[in-house]
Amino acid sequence: MVKEELVQRSPLRILEKSIQGGLGAGNLGIIASRKGVGKTACLVHIATDSLLQGKHVIHVSFSSRTDHIISWYEDIYREIAATRELEDAMEVHDSLVRNRVVMNFSQRGIEAEQLIQSLRAMIVHGGFAADVIMVDGYDFALGSPESLEALKSFAQEVGLSIWFSATLHREQPQVDENGVPVILAPYMDCVSVLITLEPAPEHVKLRLVKEHDRYVHEDLSLVLDSRTLLIADPAQLDSK
Amino acid sequence: MEARIQKMRNIGISAHIDSGKTTLSERILFYCQRIHAIHEVRGKDGVGATMDSMELERERGITIQSASTNVTWKDHVINVIDTPGHVDFTIEVERALRVLDGAILVLDSVGGVQSQTLTVNRQLGRYNVPFIAFVNKCDRTGANPVRVRDQIEEKLGHNAVLLQLPIGLEDKFVGVVDLISMKAQYYEGDFGEIIRETEIPAELAQQAEQYRETLLDAASMFSDELAEAYLEGEVQPQQVIDAVRAGTLSRQLVPVYMGSAYKNKGVQALLDGVVRYLPNPAELTYTALDLNNDEEPVDLTPESTAPTVALAFKLEEGQYGQLTYMRVYQGSIKKGMELYNSRARKKVKIGRLIRMHADTTTDINEAPAGDIVAIFGIDCASGDTFVDPSLNYSMTSMYVPNPVISLAVKAKDKSAEDNMGKALNRFTKEDPTFRSFVDPESNETIIQGMGELHLEVYIERMKREYRADVETGMPQVAYREAISARAEFDYTHKKQTGGSGQFARVAGFIEPLDEGDYEFVDSIKGGVIPNEYIPSCDKGFRTAMQKGTVIGFPIVGVRVAINDGATHPVDSSDMAFQAAALGAFRQTYAKTKPVILEPIMKVSVEGPTEYQGSIFGSLNQRRGIILASSEDGSFSTVEAEVPLSEMFGYATVLRSLSQGKAEFSMEFLKYGRVPQSVAEELIKKYQESKNKESK
Repeated sequence: MVKEELVQRSPLRILEKSIQGGLGAGNLGIIASRKGVGKTACLVHIATDSLLQGKHVIHVSFSSRTDHIISWYEDIYREIAATRELEDAMEVHDSLVRNRVVMNFSQRGIEAEQLIQSLRAMIVHGGFAADVIMVDGYDFALGSPESLEALKSFAQEVGLSIWFSATLHREQPQVDENGVPVILAPYMDCVSVLITLEPAPEHVKLRLVKEHDRYVHEDLSLVLDSRTLLIADPAQLDSK
Repeated sequence: MEARIQKMRNIGISAHIDSGKTTLSERILFYCQRIHAIHEVRGKDGVGATMDSMELERERGITIQSASTNVTWKDHVINVIDTPGHVDFTIEVERALRVLDGAILVLDSVGGVQSQTLTVNRQLGRYNVPFIAFVNKCDRTGANPVRVRDQIEEKLGHNAVLLQLPIGLEDKFVGVVDLISMKAQYYEGDFGEIIRETEIPAELAQQAEQYRETLLDAASMFSDELAEAYLEGEVQPQQVIDAVRAGTLSRQLVPVYMGSAYKNKGVQALLDGVVRYLPNPAELTYTALDLNNDEEPVDLTPESTAPTVALAFKLEEGQYGQLTYMRVYQGSIKKGMELYNSRARKKVKIGRLIRMHADTTTDINEAPAGDIVAIFGIDCASGDTFVDPSLNYSMTSMYVPNPVISLAVKAKDKSAEDNMGKALNRFTKEDPTFRSFVDPESNETIIQGMGELHLEVYIERMKREYRADVETGMPQVAYREAISARAEFDYTHKKQTGGSGQFARVAGFIEPLDEGDYEFVDSIKGGVIPNEYIPSCDKGFRTAMQKGTVIGFPIVGVRVAINDGATHPVDSSDMAFQAAALGAFRQTYAKTKPVILEPIMKVSVEGPTEYQGSIFGSLNQRRGIILASSEDGSFSTVEAEVPLSEMFGYATVLRSLSQGKAEFSMEFLKYGRVPQSVAEELIKKYQESKNKESK
């Protein structure tokens, strides 16, 4: 399969259809779940899909080592390339690496201002024209809606979209009347897309909670393949 | 096991540049009472630290060559090998690591794990060297030894455990709490030589208990005896020491010491740590290769009565000629004995045997197994193995990277030329990553090495030590040419110029080879090319590889297969087939879509976060790919892959854009394809220089 076809037939096109063509520049999206369900894998898959379309991606993390994140990308890429029999996989890989930067911050609960400053340094001074930013492990319990507002206006100013992952703790299973986990409720004004990951017997299910201006509660008919940790169309999975 | 060897330690001190490694080495000498005054590295009193015997090092304030120094601490003999910190000189570090049994990893209490700490950590891993950590500079503003321990765990992936806690930090740093004896130790007197031991200050008591528990938890993993005693609440200090030692020797535990070498605090405890936790030479197994038995590995026995096996790991130009540093792995070296150099296949007689103490020496008659000595008056190269004449062993070859940069040098006058020859001869023997040769085409002397600074230092040394003033050309990157497509060839070499002619025909194909530089495949059937001429074909192709026609650099990654040919009963010869192979390759080369490869360096830049933008920009301008950046408070590290050709002068650029606060290190990563626009530029330049020559 060539790269273009791979992008076209990606299960992420199903996701895009459900959210009016995508997250869109200047908008924020959240993928929320309990720990260890597969948020990072989702982010990395979405990022890799963008990279395959020639877009530039910054991956923001708060772990201690950048090589862990890089190996996530390597693993997910290897899975995609192998299952879809991608042609020129080595060369495509090299072009992906060129368009991807990992930015790691050691402190949790880092100020949005500092984050924006560093992102700006990379995008403006570093000449790295990012289209998508993945923020893995932002602590919504410590953060504030103002911080997210600041990030949103930064996204609008530069014209990029930002995906976050949010961890839901065991003790906060409650959702509000819109089906939004309580911990995320204060942030919803500036969040355009909210997807939750729900463990199901066989695979983890993706559920769309908010889609631009409306709250929905629909099954995206997408799952996280428990073997490859890729977002997948269950129909295709069964056929194998 | 001999008692003598049990009280012997061969250790190295490894660190990121400017972590205070040289100061620490110097304090170690002081406390071992070898020297009587303390001089600072940067030499306010103009004397300089005792470890740096070379003038140049004094000026630069960095240690370039490793010198082995012999000291005594509490009736243990310690050979300290000071290793250079700059990454351009890593061969020196690697060589030193080769002969070490253990190491002290020095970390800065503020900077923690820095780019070169990672490099050094990898090297320690490669040679399986057990080590203890020393968090230095605890008197600095922002010192945080506890955080440094966290970093050893997170960034280096070691199970690190604090053996001490600081009493006060920054300018209030006065001593440490020993978590094994549970006593406070204050370093007093003009040179911290008086250690006052008291009860733990009340405000630290609780914290000390807590960290002691962590220590006991970690140490219990390595000793059932300790685990049991711990459960029963009756832990003896020696049990903890034994357990930590077991963990350290198996490289599963890293004990962490702390102090300030500059302020004379904590060094004696560290020396106790060397003796307690690092192995004696008999606790490790070393192997040699038996050259008489197909290089079969042989375990060596660290006994002085066994036949001798020793490795020359370091050469120095001494007062009385060449000084060779040797590590004895088996048997002993005695004055007047005869040893066999298994590489040079020569017997040598051991003349003067010397123990080195930084700048002074003592003559000795014998060096036992495990020891490190210096020998005068033998001629050899670095890395040579010396054995008892009854053996033919070689220590495993060291990992030697290929040089990535070259420079033309020209002596300014006749006497300089002679001296330059001597200097180059010496340097190439001392340092396998430094090479020199005369380019047959331009007749220029070319030197090659691992980086700009690497070559610069040798040029300086030529001037100072050999009075060889040289002019240098522009640094030149070691490009390579490679093929990217398969192509077939069928070539006939024919010459009829009276007398005996020349005839040879070769046919086959050329294709890209993923691993390795060159492969020759002989698929000739039915003897259409006689067996005797097959090596001639191979040789001809090899000649073609040496210089490509795109930009005149060697060609790599080529598989050549021959499957057909023809021969003439009279006119075919070795020469004819060589010429045919060369001609076949030259004719076909263009069809294989040749590309240019350049060395890509793995670059790591560290500095205050406020300069991050400029650092990103500077790497971007240099065709760099930024892989990752890490921010740790106000300090950040950027990792990138940058072509070497773009890195010339980067040190100056980085210094000016960060007001001297950022630094970088780089090492060779891989060869990568040159982008089209750069390739065109290189080809144009090559054509121009060729045209000039032909005129």
